[in-house]
Amino acid sequence: MDIDILHSTVRISTPLVLAALGGLLTYQAGMLNIALDGFMIVAAFAGIVGAYYSLSLAVGVLAAVAASMLLAALMALFNIRFRAHIFIAGIAVTFLAYGLTALLLKGVFGQDALFTSDKIPTFPNIDIPIVKDIPVVSLIFSGHTILVYVAYLMVPVVSWALYRTRWGLRLRVVGEAPEAAATAGIDVDRVKFEAMLLSGLFCGLGGAYLSLAYVTLFSKEMTNERGLIALAAIFFARGDPYFATLVSLMFGAATALAVTLPQTTGVAPQLLQMIPYVVTVLALVLVGWRSTRARNKYRAWRFDLT
Amino acid sequence: MAQPLAALAVAIIVGGLLVLAIGDDPFQIYWILFSGSLVGVPNLMVTLQIMTPLIFTGLAVSIAFRAGLWNIGVEGQMLVGAFFAGLVGWLAPLPAIAHIPLTLVAAMLGGALWAAIPALLRVKLNVNELVVCLMLNPIALLLTGYFTIHLLKAPGPTNKLPDVLATAMLPQFSLFSQANAGVFIALGCCLLFVLINGATVRGFEWKIMGLNPAFAYYGGVDVPGRAISAMLVSGAIAGLGGAEEVMGVYRAFFDGFSPGYGFDGIAVAMLANFNPLGVIAAAGLFGALESGGAVLQMTTNISKYLVEVLQFTTVLILAAQFSWGWLRRRRIGGSHQAIGAVAEPEPNPVAEEA
Amino acid sequence: MDAASAPIVDLRHISKRFGSSLAIEDASVDVRRGEIHALVGENGAGKTTLMNILYGIVQRSGGEISFDGRPVSFANPREAIAAGIGMVHQHFKLAASFTVAENIILGAEPMRSLGRIDVRGAESRAKALSERYGLALDPRALISSLPVGLRQRVEILKALYREARVLILDEPTAVLTPQETRELFITMRALADQGHSIIFITHKLREVLATADRISVMRQGAIVSTIANAGVTAEEIARLMVGRPVLLRVMKRRAKPTSEPLLEVEGLSALGDRGEAAVDNVTLAVRGGEIVGLAGVQGNGQDELIECIAGLRVPTAGAIRIGGKPLGRTPAANRAAGLAYIPADRARVGLSPHSGVWENLTIGHLGEFRLGPFLAVGRARRRASELIGRFDVRGAELDKPAQSLSGGNQQKVQIARELTRDAKVIVAEQPSQGVDIGAIEQIHRTLVEMRDAGKSVFVISADLDEIFSISDRIVVIYRGRIVADVEVEATTPEQVGRHMGGVHADDPGAQSFGMTEAAPG
Repeated sequence: MDIDILHSTVRISTPLVLAALGGLLTYQAGMLNIALDGFMIVAAFAGIVGAYYSLSLAVGVLAAVAASMLLAALMALFNIRFRAHIFIAGIAVTFLAYGLTALLLKGVFGQDALFTSDKIPTFPNIDIPIVKDIPVVSLIFSGHTILVYVAYLMVPVVSWALYRTRWGLRLRVVGEAPEAAATAGIDVDRVKFEAMLLSGLFCGLGGAYLSLAYVTLFSKEMTNERGLIALAAIFFARGDPYFATLVSLMFGAATALAVTLPQTTGVAPQLLQMIPYVVTVLALVLVGWRSTRARNKYRAWRFDLT
Repeated sequence: MAQPLAALAVAIIVGGLLVLAIGDDPFQIYWILFSGSLVGVPNLMVTLQIMTPLIFTGLAVSIAFRAGLWNIGVEGQMLVGAFFAGLVGWLAPLPAIAHIPLTLVAAMLGGALWAAIPALLRVKLNVNELVVCLMLNPIALLLTGYFTIHLLKAPGPTNKLPDVLATAMLPQFSLFSQANAGVFIALGCCLLFVLINGATVRGFEWKIMGLNPAFAYYGGVDVPGRAISAMLVSGAIAGLGGAEEVMGVYRAFFDGFSPGYGFDGIAVAMLANFNPLGVIAAAGLFGALESGGAVLQMTTNISKYLVEVLQFTTVLILAAQFSWGWLRRRRIGGSHQAIGAVAEPEPNPVAEEA
Repeated sequence: MDAASAPIVDLRHISKRFGSSLAIEDASVDVRRGEIHALVGENGAGKTTLMNILYGIVQRSGGEISFDGRPVSFANPREAIAAGIGMVHQHFKLAASFTVAENIILGAEPMRSLGRIDVRGAESRAKALSERYGLALDPRALISSLPVGLRQRVEILKALYREARVLILDEPTAVLTPQETRELFITMRALADQGHSIIFITHKLREVLATADRISVMRQGAIVSTIANAGVTAEEIARLMVGRPVLLRVMKRRAKPTSEPLLEVEGLSALGDRGEAAVDNVTLAVRGGEIVGLAGVQGNGQDELIECIAGLRVPTAGAIRIGGKPLGRTPAANRAAGLAYIPADRARVGLSPHSGVWENLTIGHLGEFRLGPFLAVGRARRRASELIGRFDVRGAELDKPAQSLSGGNQQKVQIARELTRDAKVIVAEQPSQGVDIGAIEQIHRTLVEMRDAGKSVFVISADLDEIFSISDRIVVIYRGRIVADVEVEATTPEQVGRHMGGVHADDPGAQSFGMTEAAPG
């Protein structure tokens, strides 16, 4: 196995980390947001459109974030204001996003499956001085595009905001005990709305990364359920930013293996592509087993979810 | 009755605006959608073909959701059921009178098996079946693809199992499309469930536990057992849908044959408010839309995914609980307290304190 | 205690409509500075709604509110809090995995730069506050680690932290031991002496007589009377609450129990939801033809004990037998063995709120209406109609959702469902909670009928009046153990109250926590 796998793990995990950061903010606010894929796919598309027509990556990223936040606002509107059940709203928004982006892919670019172009600018790799000459460490930390660094640097920021600020305290109380927050005078709906918009922000960066940095193209449903994998990481980590990032890196490593192993062994690609999904299911089983071990000791049967 | 139509109307307007944004004439596009699906016998036959699997998946989703289980793994269950049907249809040389039922049973077994995974995880380990189902869908696709392409492939440049034997084929109606006798099976299942839901003990238990599982459990209903049976039956119906495609439409198991029937089933179920007869109507509507969408795809630069946008905009609006009195109906949010109720990520013991 | 000060809160002709129903018709009441003002009434009379209006949780349909002489209208709790009104709810609004300090400061957090919370400042403020009011608490403790009495202190401190001048306490003693109740009353009096006004919602008449300066009685959405607490009796207040003379004790003949116990619990131990020892080596028996009342403050293991009997919890040791046969593992098995369970939690376990009344009455009887795999729907519906008539369930139609019924009628639906089976053992949890006095009489009478028919009746209640009214024998649970088992004629509410508080009657150092005596003013 090539040591380059360390580098690709970091790259591959980046969208997972971004999606996980967004998802855990909504998780801490008490919402199970399964529309992360939807947010990322519209972001990926908007990113390509923005970068292609303006020839500027900055515009592309901005467009991606804007599109994702708009969709997040829609989700927030239907779930928070109109009381649509979050699972249904999440599924609807996700498939709406898939359909919308496929529709616009054909409508705007005339393509059925994929769009790319040489005109779209690419992100330069950033080599960090000194670090780039250290073996092994350089593969992990140097030579990435800027969004990778942004993603990992946001992890301590999110953790700080969640656990040290007033905003974070209020968010977490809204998630755990919304009535306590309401009777203390906090506008619960507004806090949830903000959390959802932020999840749109992070997924916006994630989607932009997918279509502009990870590769330079847009294809239908290119998120490949990364949003759901990020959600599993969040469950496993119980919403903690550092732990969720760690789990995302593990999932990323599994995917990296799935990419490199067919070349070294003769294993069929399908089986290897299954790895991230199977690992996710196993992670969920572990989460369930962990909580059931505690509960089943005392209760005959529980009805609510993890 | 008013709400689904209102939701659909809003979706149509939204779609129209999108078409305008792309630079086409919405009225023309919608006319093509309509005529391409419903005008002329050839188009109607295509619509019938597309609507058939939607009846199966819509019914499958409805059965589970009504009992309080979020079975959105219908896509994967259909694939596994189809795969089993493809195997048994190809490998078992029997007279048709035995072969067809056997293949159908195999499909039901496959679908039920795939549904058993989230069911058992939910009941035994309290794992959120929603995410498990969503993960199992691509796993089913990849697994059946692996077997088909790498192990059991039919000779030649195709990605399919060898054709099923003639004794396992469902007769088709016409040359215009591959609509086949499987639609009668679909309709029969719907009628069967009208009976089950309304007149049997099991149907009653499923309804009550879908609304209030703790109450049902206390009242003596074996909720964990019924939850598993609801998922297995749901998976079996999804598997039957796969069988219809393999035995009636393609006459073989093709890797990746489903353009997302399982997910469309969710939209169908919601539009139908989980009612088996409503499923037939909703499947007809969405089937027509998709068949028209195929025509759209071929003749204009509007992708058939416009239909997906329409479908899920409708679902989103239906899920909302607008506070207008005359729109109050049973909503999945409020009434499906259920086994899959809105999850608080952390349990909240203090709020329940007396 | 100011005698004739201007009122700090003045509610005039308040009305509140929820859809087509009139929850509050015309309520007028004023609260003076430094007074403890009790607001009493039956369940459903509108007391909590009226206070929710004052606190801004609910908006009034008509009438005026004055606070400190100025007309006000609070659109949400934030405004009420800002004006100086605090509310301690019956069901605590606390975040369990957060600290005492975090819960107290929530909504008015002391800050540092960059939006950070001043954690140390918060903790010291919480500590100072708790010392000033004599409500000792560790600001760093997690709420989940605190017993109920201390959690209530956190709720009170929350209000005081926001400088509440008026404190609304909604049924505060429901979850307290007698000792904690006494401490609460002392705190209330101290706060009142410092100029705070306290509005104390309760349905426990003895407590009202022990603490209040003035008493306002609410009946069917209106304040019918406001009287000073001087020489008033519980019976008089009850009559004002109901509008007619009320029997505070059910009439029954002496019990004639059979010799064989139908419900036996032997050496039972079980763990609670957080792994704590909830039930500790409990042994008790209920014979056929007798009513045994389980007295105890909520949170001493009754819930877990009943869950074990009902099949909803797995015990760690011991045995339970119904009619001589050991208990099954599921509720279904226990029903088959002859157990009828009427739970306290009507919204989740006892009823299906969105289902029709006929469906609620049919669950648990599915065997009777089964024809092979089919359900005899017509027969089930007819039977439901019959039951509605027999148990006088008001406002019930077969297809109307159960949540549309009042608390008392919901209770009757539960009873109708459970007591028409061939049950040997009836376990009734908090039967009169949320039920008005008139319906309570009916329910108690039904339980006595069951007893006279030879069944075992096991009543669990936190309401000592109910226990004494209905039981033949009383068993007291404290910290998961049975600490007393006496015939009802051989004891008094005072003694039982002591047992409930963990003080043994024969303990030489025992203090009196008189439930019936008025506390010194």
